[in-house]
Amino acid sequence: MRDTGLLGRLIQHLRCLPGVGPKTAQRMAFHLLQKDREGARALAETLLQAIDRIGQCSRCRTLTEKPLCDICADPARDKSAVCIVENPSDVWIIEQATVFRGLYFVLHGRLSPLDGIGPGELGLDQLERQLATNGIKELVLATNSTVEGEATAFFIGELAHKHHVQASRIAHGVPMGGELEFIDSGTLLHAFNGRRTI
Amino acid sequence: MTENRVFLQPAYILQQRDYRESSLIVEAFTRDFGRLSLLAKGVRKAKSKSQGLLQPFIPLRLSYLGKAELKTLTDVELAEPFQPLTGLALYCGFYLNELIEAFLHKDDPHPELFADYCQCLADLRQGGPLEAVLRNFELNLIEKSGYGLQLAYDMQHGKPVDPSKKYHLGAELSPVEATEGIYTGKSLLAIQARNFGDPDVLAEAKSLLRHVLDQLLHGKPLNSRKVLNEIIKRL
Repeated sequence: MRDTGLLGRLIQHLRCLPGVGPKTAQRMAFHLLQKDREGARALAETLLQAIDRIGQCSRCRTLTEKPLCDICADPARDKSAVCIVENPSDVWIIEQATVFRGLYFVLHGRLSPLDGIGPGELGLDQLERQLATNGIKELVLATNSTVEGEATAFFIGELAHKHHVQASRIAHGVPMGGELEFIDSGTLLHAFNGRRTI
Repeated sequence: MTENRVFLQPAYILQQRDYRESSLIVEAFTRDFGRLSLLAKGVRKAKSKSQGLLQPFIPLRLSYLGKAELKTLTDVELAEPFQPLTGLALYCGFYLNELIEAFLHKDDPHPELFADYCQCLADLRQGGPLEAVLRNFELNLIEKSGYGLQLAYDMQHGKPVDPSKKYHLGAELSPVEATEGIYTGKSLLAIQARNFGDPDVLAEAKSLLRHVLDQLLHGKPLNSRKVLNEIIKRL
């Protein structure tokens, strides 16, 4: 009965989830079929609807079921500040943690020359059009603190200068409550290079 | 069982990709063991100390073990304080990394080329003239990965390259005198001598080395070159 029939197929398909191996997939499949058939039906229906309806916001490219996402459609948001992030999940994280009241722009990736991912793949044409026409005054570059994230931030920063928009990069270095003793040397070096006057 | 252990090997990361929930597979260029793949287990966790270091263009010392093709990373240390690459130099760095991945076979040591790579990164950090720095490295790479480029002698006609004549590159990637040739003898000699002061020489070196690299790669495209051009076009 291995890998054959509907059950085998279900187990196989559950493995497309991150962190789910054969054993976990098996446990999930049996749980859904034996103990929670209602839940399974709801999951299946919601999944189908989500796949059909959720697309990208026409302005910020985050995931939404409407043409314009809730943040972009909110009249109280400051439309002159835009925060650039790599993934839609980053929007959630920043919304929960910070007092940023502007809009977002989601790249769905980062510049990665070795993988052939350039400006075209990240929707930067769209961003440039917004820089040219939408009255944006500040860009906050919140890409990850990796080499590729830095490469992306530098490039978007240059685009912003071209359109006379102020661009800033989020700070990185010593974490809150961090003791210098336990910080890796790379981060500490970065923190020193990025020191500021008080 | 005896494991092959290597301690504190000088190295740079060329590329990294996510592996499973919290691990990375990194392509490293080591001084004494050449290019190799390493599995860095559990480094993508919040408390990981080495994730910040496992990035390209950082001088590292890596310790690892294993006999198979994919070795297991056991420790990472910063070799020396460094200035990060910024701006255009950073994009050029990606191009260097792709060249190394394309030209060097795994586990094939190239200590001299490693030194060239370190020097090239240092030049890029200090804001040296990008084009000349890249051309110089391309020549080093071609030479030291075993191809060799001989630009000062016309083999077909059996005489040295004449600065006042024109040449094209023959099938063996060596100069052949031709009236409609696209390279001047003067430039070929300057390229051979790594003398990139003249803008005309630099331009010819770019087109010549692009041709040579493409020939040696047998049509395999270089992704970073395409992206780099796209970036430069938009800046």
